[in-house]
Amino acid sequence: MALVPGAPVALSLRVQAAGLIAVGTAGGVCLLDGRSVGSGFTSELEPAVGVDPLSGLMLMMIALVAAPAAAYAAVYLVAAAHPRALAVLTGLFPLALIGVVTARDATLILGAWELMTLVPAAAILVAGGAHGGGDERRAVFEYLAITHIGGAGVWVAVLVLAERGALGDPAGLASAGTGVQTLVAVAGLIGFGTKAGLVPLHSWLPRVHPLAPSSISAVMSGVMVKVALYGMVRLLMEWLGSPAAWVGFAVLALGAVSALSGILQALFQRDLKRLLAFSTIENVGIVTLALGAAVILADRGEPAWAALALAAALLHGLNHAVVKALLFLGAGSLERAGAGRDLDRMGGLLRRMPWTGAAVLTGCLAIAGLPVLSGFASEWATLQALLGLGRQDAVGLALAGGVAAAALAVTVGLGAICFVKVIGLALLGAPRVPGAAEAVETPRGMWAPLAALGAACLALGVAPGLLLPALADLAPGGGGLPRGAGIDIPGTSLPTLGIALALAVAAATLLALRGRRTAAPAPVWACGQAVEPSLAWTSAAFTKPVRLSMWGLLRPEREVEVLSRGGVPDEVRHRGAVPHLIDGAVYAPVLRVALAGAGAARRLQSGSLRLYAGYLVGLVVLLLLLARTGVLG
Amino acid sequence: MSGREAIALAVQLAGLALAPLLVGGVQTVKARLQGRRGSGPLQPYRELRRLWGRSAVDPIGTGPVYRAAPVAVGAALALCLLVVPVAAVGTGWPAGHDLLVVIGLLALARVAMALSAWDTGGGFGMMGASRDLGFAAVGEALLVAVALVASIPAGTTDLRAMWAASAGPDVWAEPGHWCGAIAMGLVVVLETGRQPIDNPDTHLELTMIHEGPLLEYAGRDLAVLQWAAAARHWVVLVLAAGLFLPHPSDFAGGLAALALGVIVLVVALGVTETWHAKMRLLRVPPILLAGTALALLGVVSWAAGGGA
Repeated sequence: MALVPGAPVALSLRVQAAGLIAVGTAGGVCLLDGRSVGSGFTSELEPAVGVDPLSGLMLMMIALVAAPAAAYAAVYLVAAAHPRALAVLTGLFPLALIGVVTARDATLILGAWELMTLVPAAAILVAGGAHGGGDERRAVFEYLAITHIGGAGVWVAVLVLAERGALGDPAGLASAGTGVQTLVAVAGLIGFGTKAGLVPLHSWLPRVHPLAPSSISAVMSGVMVKVALYGMVRLLMEWLGSPAAWVGFAVLALGAVSALSGILQALFQRDLKRLLAFSTIENVGIVTLALGAAVILADRGEPAWAALALAAALLHGLNHAVVKALLFLGAGSLERAGAGRDLDRMGGLLRRMPWTGAAVLTGCLAIAGLPVLSGFASEWATLQALLGLGRQDAVGLALAGGVAAAALAVTVGLGAICFVKVIGLALLGAPRVPGAAEAVETPRGMWAPLAALGAACLALGVAPGLLLPALADLAPGGGGLPRGAGIDIPGTSLPTLGIALALAVAAATLLALRGRRTAAPAPVWACGQAVEPSLAWTSAAFTKPVRLSMWGLLRPEREVEVLSRGGVPDEVRHRGAVPHLIDGAVYAPVLRVALAGAGAARRLQSGSLRLYAGYLVGLVVLLLLLARTGVLG
Repeated sequence: MSGREAIALAVQLAGLALAPLLVGGVQTVKARLQGRRGSGPLQPYRELRRLWGRSAVDPIGTGPVYRAAPVAVGAALALCLLVVPVAAVGTGWPAGHDLLVVIGLLALARVAMALSAWDTGGGFGMMGASRDLGFAAVGEALLVAVALVASIPAGTTDLRAMWAASAGPDVWAEPGHWCGAIAMGLVVVLETGRQPIDNPDTHLELTMIHEGPLLEYAGRDLAVLQWAAAARHWVVLVLAAGLFLPHPSDFAGGLAALALGVIVLVVALGVTETWHAKMRLLRVPPILLAGTALALLGVVSWAAGGGA
């Protein structure tokens, strides 16, 4: 085995994990104590570094995801193609992320931002290089193209802010006039939104996240998109001063569309990692939804509700980071154990891989938003904020709040279907293919990080109130929520600890009442037929009610071909798919126009010297004309 | 604990035992309307006693999820029943009285059932589970929209405050409240799993929703699940009667109005089941969406009227 070359790699990754835990602890102290260290934001173009409570939260989030991912990589990467290069990139990635959240001036922000974009691209190329990698190269190209074109928005926003002296001073932009404010808001939303994967700028995300090695995918899907959301929080809560209500409505709408279309696409995926990537879009949408509500409520003069909305957004971001890291690492474990990534070809893995299986089960239940795991607490808080918006006595606000709350509810409901499907197909029932029947549990170094992340999901679900008040204090108006295990907001409360205990007591009572269970084994009822593997339910079958009832929205494709031999139907072939409508409706026309534009530009660039001389003469004539008529002054 | 709190707690605990009576009541009303004598409102108790004496069944190939599902469903519904207060007086118990928690616990029960269906892998269970979850996705939007309308008078989703704020005749002057009441009617039919959305009395496999995953259970497991279905009736009917039926603001009157309201709803369910055939499955989501839209119309109406 690759023990000799692998050992230093594993050791260095474990050291990295320990270092990340230290960084995360420091971040946590900054957040909970409300402490700021180092420089504040400055509009000077000299490198400055500092941590404030919001950066502290991000450091905590990075550590919560990247430390288990590094520990996992110490075992996972040893069997990979280029362990040394991938280990370096696995180590570099969190550093780039830490760079973005601790940078305090425009140069460092933008430098770390670009590094954060490039590291995963390099990791995908290194990991894919071994086996051809045509798909990888194409996906990485799309990723770099979309995030760089969109990411130009970040450059515009940050540089304009620095130029106006508004990076450190909230009043800076207020004096700049609405034109500049609008420019910064739009550029920032596009820039950060692209990197966060907001629909319709998300197209790269589901292509790239599944390709990277799991230890990198986990950090990409868990925290890289959150770092982009961090940029959006800075923009909306600090740099823009007090943004106008339309900014809030735009953010709310982006969030609702992302959440719904993300989960609708996730629902119909068979590739586990691709499904997880789409679900990341959904959760980014939920966070954005809450951010939009925070902006609108702050503009409305409801600081307490705005603080709750912001806290809900940040808490959901943290919860999702933890659970998505767990699920991506879990997907890596299932793949490594020989079960592959195709959900329809797994089955029964809870029995074959008890530790990994139990952790993935916990993660799926948490991300589905079931009490008393982490997703429920943050979705409860988000929903409360949206209901608070819906209770405003202005028709526009009430309607926006109501529609957003209903959209969130549908999203959560569809999320439950999606992750019940994952649990059912991957972990429960009988193995669907021989490969799944022979899967073996991964070494402890791989399941222990999963178990730690699963425990974090439970802890964040049972005691969200230890964190939420500190998050609410980050709002400009202050939070002032009481600290405790559960969440206490004005008017009502979510006593998570009480609910957890009551559920446990009720379950224990029921178990005691049921007594010693006597059960007779019997075959599953299938109208007297023998139960065969070919009768097993698939991903497509389970999601059929949704596919049929949302037919108008999803436009599923279906092809049935009956092959007859001598007039007797001999074989029926069936093919069905849910197309990615946004790719077809938005990206395809843009791509067509871009290609047509490139074609026209190529005609201009014919390589003929005479033509170039002609361009020069034409340009000189034009300039002379302009100078003559006085346009050039 | 004050006297009123003790009475409220007693009513809630009694609810754990009285819930099957509601199912029996609906069946009796139905039987009478169909010109039969029926087996009386106590029949569900007889069935529970019969099931309790039988041994369970373990479908071949199932694991711990199948065995744990009835316990999870039962615990979630028991907790649900205790979270929903009666007549504005909740007990000061540690699980709170928030409406969104009720929605979460109902989802927990639903997911536990769906997972048990996946564990057995039987076609009928899966059919029921996939339909149940599919409808619930739209159903949750309906529930949340109704929760929003109902929370406007009180300004919070704490069920005690919502109960108090919807007492008296004033709230009925607001058209938004009427919209909410009609939408709540849909919630009642959906969550109790009754016609025209689901039929609890059929075991015709191709049309089952809630009954599908129950097919594989027997004995005490099935008894717990049937009790949970009855508890779901209690939770939803008490919510509907408390939030969207007229009731006075004092405690004794509130309790009386609650009892009366639940009886009225039981009769209404029986009448609807007799009068309306089960609808096509694919017609359910659009109707739930229409209910959501109606509830949102109620929200707009409240806002246009200047709020509560």
